[in-house]
Amino acid sequence: MDWQGQKLAEQLMQLLLLAFAVVAFATGYFIGSFQMMILIYAGGVILTSLITVPNWPFFNRHPLKWLDPSEDEKHPKPQHSVTSNSKKKSKK
Amino acid sequence: MGWIGETVDSIKSIQIRQVLTQGVSLGMIVTSALIIWKALMCITGSESPVVVVLSGSMEPGFKRGDILFLHMSKDPIRAGEIVVFNVDGREIPIVHRVIKVHEREDTGEVDVLTKGDNNYGDDRLLYAQGQLWLQRHHIMGRAVGFLPYVGWVTIIMTEKPIIKYILIGALGLLVITSKE
Amino acid sequence: MHSFGYRANALLTFAITILALMCAMASLSDNLNSPTPSAEVLVLNINWFQKQPNGNDEVSMTLNISADLQSLFTWNTKQVFVFLAAEYETPKNSLNQISLWDGIIPSKEHSKFWIHTSNKYRFIDQGSNLRSKEFNLTLHWHVMPKTGKMFADKMDADP
Repeated sequence: MDWQGQKLAEQLMQLLLLAFAVVAFATGYFIGSFQMMILIYAGGVILTSLITVPNWPFFNRHPLKWLDPSEDEKHPKPQHSVTSNSKKKSKK
Repeated sequence: MGWIGETVDSIKSIQIRQVLTQGVSLGMIVTSALIIWKALMCITGSESPVVVVLSGSMEPGFKRGDILFLHMSKDPIRAGEIVVFNVDGREIPIVHRVIKVHEREDTGEVDVLTKGDNNYGDDRLLYAQGQLWLQRHHIMGRAVGFLPYVGWVTIIMTEKPIIKYILIGALGLLVITSKE
Repeated sequence: MHSFGYRANALLTFAITILALMCAMASLSDNLNSPTPSAEVLVLNINWFQKQPNGNDEVSMTLNISADLQSLFTWNTKQVFVFLAAEYETPKNSLNQISLWDGIIPSKEHSKFWIHTSNKYRFIDQGSNLRSKEFNLTLHWHVMPKTGKMFADKMDADP
């Protein structure tokens, strides 16, 4: 799961659970059946876990692009701060 | 060789630090549970603010495995209230309903008789030998709130201690091995 | 650290938190209900009167109880426990409450009832004060919710 996918999964989970809770409570209250509320909510929890827990392909649409090793050599890592300072100074 | 020694040292120090962190977080879990329990004791004024129903004597109101929240206030005890009481010579407290109350004019002491909703007769047979009434000091609290089924966890754990040890072991392992 | 187990754990925790909230709200919604029950109790007959060997008075009587408790039921009600208590004062005791009859009402359909019975529990005084004693009959009810707070109230049931 990539970074975007993690964010999506987390948001989906909270949104779906809250939505099911609201629907379940409203239905239960207006039908007057506590059991109905629990059933709807249980269904919602199962559905949400099916959607957000497994690593579905649509959570992996934004793969991280790492630099090639060859590319890496062209951009040398910054050295110690002292040397970088000296570079800046030399540029001036 | 100094380089290898340094590395070994750093690994060692990391492990000690990690072990300490895990130990602290484990301690946090235990103490926060304790804090919640003690805070509940303070708020409700009852010695055990939450009890699990162990018998079916109050069915269909309370089933085995339900959780009751107790409250202990100075209010006088009245008929119809569900109280938790301890009888001398019995370890396990009982949750039953008050059916008779006699309150003294002069001292304000009460004589209370209880009965389980699902029992045929009153509780005189459950009391200590020759005891006819419950007094105030027998009563640990009165039930104010109710939560179904949750108490099964503790019932299973007390009846099958192996499950308890497995659970505690697994949780401890999880806490110790988790890396954050 | 965004593994299968982590997501399952987060979902379970969140789901249970919401469930607890829903139960709390269900319990709170009971407060919106303002019940208007009605009840009437008649003492039809004093069957017998005796003095026990230890000096306590005991009475047996026939009661006629009719009540309409339908308004006590809400969607979060598991049962209503109802009982009839005799309340009186004696020189020794500032309050005596004796349950004479009780019943469990499992559902709204059974909450309008009429019953003809002798007292279910023995009406025994602590002492001998019952002869020509005035006592109040009160009908108490104890609403047991499916989850949450329990409600109790009473009403004077003398006609």
